[in-house]
Amino acid sequence: MTPLRFEELYDAEWSELEALLDRYHGRRRQPVTSTFASVTTDTSRGPVSGARLAELYRRACEHLALAQARAYPAYMLDRLDRITADAHQLIYQDRELGLARIRSLATRDFPRAVRRHAPYVWVSALAFLVPTIAIGLLVYWRTDLILSVVDSATASSFDEMYSPNADSIGRLRTASTDWVMFGYYIRNNIGVAFQCFAGGLFGGVGSLLFLAFNGAFGGAIAGYLVGRGLSDTFFPFVATHSAFELTAIVLAGAAGLRIGHALLAPGRLTRTQALVAASRETVTLLYGVTAMLCVAAVIEAFWSSATWLPAAAKYTTAAICWSAVIAYLTLQGRRAG
Amino acid sequence: MAARFYAFLLDWMIRLVFLYAAAIVVTLFGGLGVAFFLILLFALEWLYPIAFELTRSGATPGKRAFGLKVVMDNGLPVTPAAAVTRNLLRVADFLPFCYGFAVFSMLVRRDCKRLGDLAASTLVVYQPRVAPRPALAEVTPVVPMRRLAPADQAALAALAVRAPRLTVERLDELAALAAAVSGDAGRSGPDVTRRVLGVAQWVLGRRA
Repeated sequence: MTPLRFEELYDAEWSELEALLDRYHGRRRQPVTSTFASVTTDTSRGPVSGARLAELYRRACEHLALAQARAYPAYMLDRLDRITADAHQLIYQDRELGLARIRSLATRDFPRAVRRHAPYVWVSALAFLVPTIAIGLLVYWRTDLILSVVDSATASSFDEMYSPNADSIGRLRTASTDWVMFGYYIRNNIGVAFQCFAGGLFGGVGSLLFLAFNGAFGGAIAGYLVGRGLSDTFFPFVATHSAFELTAIVLAGAAGLRIGHALLAPGRLTRTQALVAASRETVTLLYGVTAMLCVAAVIEAFWSSATWLPAAAKYTTAAICWSAVIAYLTLQGRRAG
Repeated sequence: MAARFYAFLLDWMIRLVFLYAAAIVVTLFGGLGVAFFLILLFALEWLYPIAFELTRSGATPGKRAFGLKVVMDNGLPVTPAAAVTRNLLRVADFLPFCYGFAVFSMLVRRDCKRLGDLAASTLVVYQPRVAPRPALAEVTPVVPMRRLAPADQAALAALAVRAPRLTVERLDELAALAAAVSGDAGRSGPDVTRRVLGVAQWVLGRRA
């Protein structure tokens, strides 16, 4: 069969498939004056008949194979290549996100993923907490050591931020309202968590370093403030949102460690396969981490910073939040279904 | 590789312009504005590529401008999980500086994946615009003077399709290489070209 004859025979089917794809994508193209058949092109975006699409897709694949085997001209191959690839994407696409998916993430998948990765969570927690406590105690014991972490201007700004007569606790001098701090926390903390995760790509070492560094930094500030006698404003401030913030950062680090472990000890898979499998598992953790950090930012900006709330109220909510987070991660989604 | 670099540059500039515009608007709103600006900064840094790669085009505006799109290894549209993974691992790709690991990985691998692509099992592929069906010059079909192997037929058909886009001199040169098919071996010139193109028409399926 000659190429032109082939095209003449099947052009109508290809054009119909193109029209279906265009309709799905809501694309408008100049009505191509089809050389052989007049095809009514309906350009309104909308649902596409699945049965017809599948039929046309299979036919087009067959034609592509024939056209390749017979070395038909490139323009014809390009066209068939494109329509089969587009139809393939449409037919086999996987709609992962949706309300049902988000619901199952929150009620089952995220806490389950945390429990499944419990060893990584513990290692990550140690990598974070040991430097926090060690540096915290060190700086508490010798307050001037803070100067080896930050310069004196920053140190005195901490004094100011957490002084009992500040009009809002923990607010940067440059920030005028709680809203600014909310934006700052979103940008800063989620960025830190993502770094702790991505560092896992270097055999987990990056995650450990980021965790230890952030832990040490936080510990230094805490030790310094307590050493300066500001514990009455500092602890009520951090108690509540840390339930979400510290947990989330530890979980992000755990996700990074999972990836690092997959690279170091891939088992029976190739390293690339192990990496892909580990990333697919840990992405569930990252969804949860992001959500937790958003909650933490809201609390940190609007609740923790409030000076009019008595410390007792803050400690009570803190206790509730911590128990809620721990209960959620350990108990939620244990029943099948 | 080059296309990906330009696409990245374009995306970067788009975001910069957007931020600049936002910064101007934001100064009018005070504290709330600054908060909005910081959240925007976060969104543009982390969510911009994820959101655009999950649209039906599967590409950020920069990638689309350079005819690229992100797909899964098996040719399917990129899944949300994969888009999140490949874009969060950007941090690792960025190290030690200026996307050093990404560039290294893309240079040593045949499939030009950066580390994020490896972990998410995604590929960045060319999505060229399909050229409209070329108009074939009307030449009288000529019966070939010898048997044509499939490869010869393909070459002649390709020549006929390309003919309108070639200069006359170049077309003559190329046709001279194939002159044997019309029994003109060793000769060249407009007449030979016409006869070779005639054979191409015959191969494509035209008959006198």
